[in-house]
Amino acid sequence: MSYIKSFIDFLSTPTISFTLLTFAFPFIFPPNDWFDKKNRQWGIYKVWSNKGGFWIFISITLFFIVGYFDPYFNKTMTKPDNIPIILMIYSMFLAVWYGMKKSYRNDDRIERGEKPEEWNDPDDKVLVWPDLVYIELIALILFMVFLIVWSILIAAPLEEPANPAATPNPSKAPWYFLGLQEMLVYFDPWIAGIIFPMFIIIGMMAIPYMDINKKGDGYYSFKERRVGYFIFMYGWLVLWIFLIIIGTIFRGPNWNFYGPFEWWDPHKLEPLTNINLSEYIWIKLLNKGLPSNIILRESVGFVITIGYMFVMPLLLAKTKLKHIYEHYGPVRYATMMLFGLTMFSLPIKMYLRWTINLKYIIAIPEWFFNI
Amino acid sequence: MNDERYWNIKLLNKWFAISSIIFMATFIWMFIDDNDDEFKKYQRAFRKMEVETANKKLLIEIEKIKDERIIYDNNLLKADSIFATKKSILDSLHLDLEIASAKFYKANMNFLGEKAIADAEKYKYETAKLHNYNDEPLQIEEIYFNLVSNVEKLKLIKEAKEYEVFQLEEQIKYVGLEKDNAQTELNKILKEVNIADRKLDKLDRKKMSLSNKLGDIVRDLPILDFLSPYYKVEQVVLPEVKYNVNFAQVPEVDRCTSCHLGITNPDYIDAPQPFTTHPDLDLFLSSSSPHSYEQFGCTSCHAGRGRGTSFTSATHTPSSLEQREEWEEKYHWHEMHHWLKPMLPTKYTEASCFKCHNNQTYIAGAEKLTLGLKLINQKGCNNCHHIETQKPYRKIGPDLRKLDEKVTKEWAGKWILDPQSFRHNTKMPAFFGQSNNSDSVSVLRNKTEVATIVEYLFPDGNKKKTHNAKYLGNKENGENLFNVVGCRGCHNIEENPDNPSNIVNQEALFRSHGPNLIGIGSKSDPEWIFNWLKNPTEYWHETAMPSLRLTDQEAKDITAYLYEFKNLEFESMQPLEVNAQELDNITYSWLKKAFPVEESKSRLDKMGYNDKINYVSDKSIRHYGCFTCHNINGYENDKPIGAELTHEGSKSIQKLDFGFRHDLDHKNYVWFYNKLKDPRQFDHGKELAYEDKSRMPNFYLKDEEIEAIVTALLGFNDDKIGENLLAETYVPDHQIYLGNKLIIDKNCQGCHLIDGIGGHITENYFAPEYAPPNLNTEGAKVQPSWLFNWFHKPYIVRPNLQVRMPSFDMTDEEWNAIIKAFQYKENNMLDFASDLEFDRLETKFIAGKKLHELGACNNCHFYGTEFPKQAAQTWAPNLALTKERLQPDWVVNWLKDPQAIMPGTKMPAPYLPDNEILNVEGAISDWGKAIVKLGGDEELMLEGLRDYIYSIKGKVDISTEVKKYFKENGYEFDSDDDDDW
Repeated sequence: MSYIKSFIDFLSTPTISFTLLTFAFPFIFPPNDWFDKKNRQWGIYKVWSNKGGFWIFISITLFFIVGYFDPYFNKTMTKPDNIPIILMIYSMFLAVWYGMKKSYRNDDRIERGEKPEEWNDPDDKVLVWPDLVYIELIALILFMVFLIVWSILIAAPLEEPANPAATPNPSKAPWYFLGLQEMLVYFDPWIAGIIFPMFIIIGMMAIPYMDINKKGDGYYSFKERRVGYFIFMYGWLVLWIFLIIIGTIFRGPNWNFYGPFEWWDPHKLEPLTNINLSEYIWIKLLNKGLPSNIILRESVGFVITIGYMFVMPLLLAKTKLKHIYEHYGPVRYATMMLFGLTMFSLPIKMYLRWTINLKYIIAIPEWFFNI
Repeated sequence: MNDERYWNIKLLNKWFAISSIIFMATFIWMFIDDNDDEFKKYQRAFRKMEVETANKKLLIEIEKIKDERIIYDNNLLKADSIFATKKSILDSLHLDLEIASAKFYKANMNFLGEKAIADAEKYKYETAKLHNYNDEPLQIEEIYFNLVSNVEKLKLIKEAKEYEVFQLEEQIKYVGLEKDNAQTELNKILKEVNIADRKLDKLDRKKMSLSNKLGDIVRDLPILDFLSPYYKVEQVVLPEVKYNVNFAQVPEVDRCTSCHLGITNPDYIDAPQPFTTHPDLDLFLSSSSPHSYEQFGCTSCHAGRGRGTSFTSATHTPSSLEQREEWEEKYHWHEMHHWLKPMLPTKYTEASCFKCHNNQTYIAGAEKLTLGLKLINQKGCNNCHHIETQKPYRKIGPDLRKLDEKVTKEWAGKWILDPQSFRHNTKMPAFFGQSNNSDSVSVLRNKTEVATIVEYLFPDGNKKKTHNAKYLGNKENGENLFNVVGCRGCHNIEENPDNPSNIVNQEALFRSHGPNLIGIGSKSDPEWIFNWLKNPTEYWHETAMPSLRLTDQEAKDITAYLYEFKNLEFESMQPLEVNAQELDNITYSWLKKAFPVEESKSRLDKMGYNDKINYVSDKSIRHYGCFTCHNINGYENDKPIGAELTHEGSKSIQKLDFGFRHDLDHKNYVWFYNKLKDPRQFDHGKELAYEDKSRMPNFYLKDEEIEAIVTALLGFNDDKIGENLLAETYVPDHQIYLGNKLIIDKNCQGCHLIDGIGGHITENYFAPEYAPPNLNTEGAKVQPSWLFNWFHKPYIVRPNLQVRMPSFDMTDEEWNAIIKAFQYKENNMLDFASDLEFDRLETKFIAGKKLHELGACNNCHFYGTEFPKQAAQTWAPNLALTKERLQPDWVVNWLKDPQAIMPGTKMPAPYLPDNEILNVEGAISDWGKAIVKLGGDEELMLEGLRDYIYSIKGKVDISTEVKKYFKENGYEFDSDDDDDW
């Protein structure tokens, strides 16, 4: 058992788990034919059947049962603050599984030339008044009952009376903000704390205006909108939910990483030898000191950032993504690129940190401007 | 209305009904849960207990008056029956009263009505008079005076009716008088019963009327309970006790009594927690005690979170692991990690006394804290660690500037490396051979370090030692002197480490104030010992060792006795030597700390052998901080090396390095305890350069000693207490604190009993009479001016004592402080007192003279150079000294009952005849006219006796005469059977 536990601890290291997830993701939600072929070939799609759902449910539950009897994981798991996380893991899975199951069924039907399941459904018709409102009222009451009982049985996750002279180690944000806190490890606060949350909110509001694919309206479907599905699910599941899970379960004292079955030893040390891109260029590559001119010093960083954010989309619009550019028009294309590239800058930065200890691409502490 | 439905509305209705009912149920559950505070459970239980107690009390009170009550009950019955016979009379009287009252009412209304009209007319008449310029008679005048006379008439009628009513009322009262009286009498004796009964009415629902019962329930219902609930948070706000909330000082609010409901009520001594009465209500909590609940609350002593109203949130702290487990089980207790001041475990509660009593050396009732403070001073903790309230009076260790006169280099080296091998209970702590430096590499290094330190301390090498026999006298005589002259007040000679047994208290510290003198012969030579005995301050001017004014011969005798004690095992140990290779290693390792590697190497190469010795000795003396406890040449102005401990008790737990000791509970007192138990243990498992290792030495403290020191450390905190609560606010002169410190520092209690403790030297004499006197009432006893002079130049007061008051080399300021300290204990702060005036012709003086004759004072007391009649064993102080030495008021008290002041004294209280005896025939011839005239007035007789004593003249200092006597006759009387006198 201890061998399995330490193996799980090892797998959970952010570098490994994040990489595994990222690589597995296109196979689970195939964005193109090749991945789809592999998906079919390896039978991954079977996860979205009743049987697959059952087994995944069993394995998640088993993980928690094992965790419950582990002295260290038990502490993390049973904190009142973390109970929503466990509920979240189950409900996330349930919602995704349910949607995907229906989508696959509809995809099959559409392939066979039939209408989607939701198409001919007059028996299931519901009037807003009184039926829907009534049902919603009942649901509302029952949900209130659930919330009240929850709040009675499990005390609010308030911490102990604080000590103004000593902050607890680790100091964690509320669970729903832990994804943001995790981003702070890789980005300057003004990006991770201001730009990203703002972009997330505005970006989600912009989705209906950018997505002009009429297919899939009013019924579940994966194949007809698989690229959009893939991008959204990656951002949602990997870059948000998974980061919350990391922040809750895997981050311990000094914000060091700890496996789920590992003791939170406050003495654990991790080397933090991060280097700015400018130092890579001027010192490591060119073997000379940093130029005193800030702009010159960070010129490469600027070039790369501007290139990534602005030049690359332009070039792509002319070449590889020409059909998309033409299909969506310049405004939609530009907006999509802005949000999309910002989103993908997160895993890129994470990998740069993990692989070459890159601290900042542009580092101007003099102006409090670091990217 | 559209009747179109696609859903079964009846089914929905059912669902709606079910979910609403469930919702209602959870809603009620929520209210119950929300109002079910922990403290209310305790309050309910306590109410039950209160009802029981009140019922018991009621029964007891009823029982108490049972017999008496019968009489009064009977009286009442009798009065009742008489009252019943008068019923018809009373009825008719009541009827008459009713009619009379009605008539009075009518008459009164007539009168008032007419008076109102007259008043209005009066106004008109006055205005008319004012505007009447030609003095003609006014029409209105007549109308007005008519009205006035009418009012007068009506008033008469009214008063007559009023009188009728009054008379009837009197008659009615008279009829019921007997009954009323009987009832009042009964109520008088039922007073206590009624109080208990009324209390029960408020407490016990069973005794309440239905409406009260309902009210009692409703007042505690949710939401309604904001008005005046029975079950509520009880709290006290303490404006003088503040705590820090983000740099703002906030008054403490203690809600502890929400659960500790019987804490100030003596009725609940045997009740279980949390209802138990607080111990010692005379000292704590009661409003007449010095620490009243209204002023001090609870957390000012116990610490903890006063605002907490549940077991856990009040930060109760378990005293032991077992208790911790019990609490976790019973109360679901868990730790409040971030609270700055968790409650002190009961064994450390005394720490809080220090907050307000931070200047005192002795805090009555806080023996553990007092012991801890004394240990901190005696062990010299405050030498290495700065503690603002415990600044050291001097360096605790001996002066090393002339060490070469005292010991040899070899001895010094072996001693520094392992002091306990020479003297098992030395105060010198062990630096070497500890848990973090016992490995062979460290041992090698330490030996060379110590050898270089010795080289520094002996700049000229060993001085030639003269084992000169001319300093050795008679050792039997020396032993005798050592035992009686006073040495044993501070020193003992005890080879066995287990003896005296492991008693830890203040008295044990008095005994070990000076070093245990075993092995002295292996340490120093006779010449040094002789010189030291003769004049200790010459070698070390700050020493606590006083001079006993020994003659040369006496000093030689004691030297001979002490020189006999050898430690052969220690002598045979190998002396330390500098290892050249190791010397290089140490030099290099220190150089590396200060210089780059290459420079260190080149510096090392350039150093000669002596340079290296000097360099390493300097580094070592600084590293181990030798100069903090000892005077060492060249280190006079260096700062102490330890961490400051002034606010150690408030240091946050994060700043205490537990290292890898994960097995220890992370509490500051656990850390302190373990640090003192094994100061190096937190290095366990760490990879450290030698210079970075812990270096606090090991004092080999006993567990109880550690607990006492930890108590004091917890008391060293930064809590702010209002001035009104500080003990020093009530102390008139702060010199008193200095005096008390000196009393401790000079170990006065080695010989004298002060504050009820000390004086163990008495064991060496066959009766306390021959030991140094106890100093009860000293502050009220002697005249400060005499005491001051005597301290400077002591002479014989008690002629047959062999033990001597030593000569301490102290300044005037210090002696004054000591005198003030004694005076403060007696609440008698006079610096100067006028001489006693008396009239030799006064009756009481003559009576006193007669009493003095009858009492035969001269059997024991000296009168100047006139020796007492009886032998030396009963000798007592010179009475010619009295007027200079003693305070007149005290002498009277002393004569009244000497045993009360000095238990065990041979001084009898003078026999005083009472009035009866003085009325017997022939009393005048037996007692003299004057005594008879005083008529048995004890006070006057004693004052007379005192006045007579104050009139005795003669030589004051009779030391020469007494010494001469004993030189000729010896102290042989000691061996007599003590029943003789």
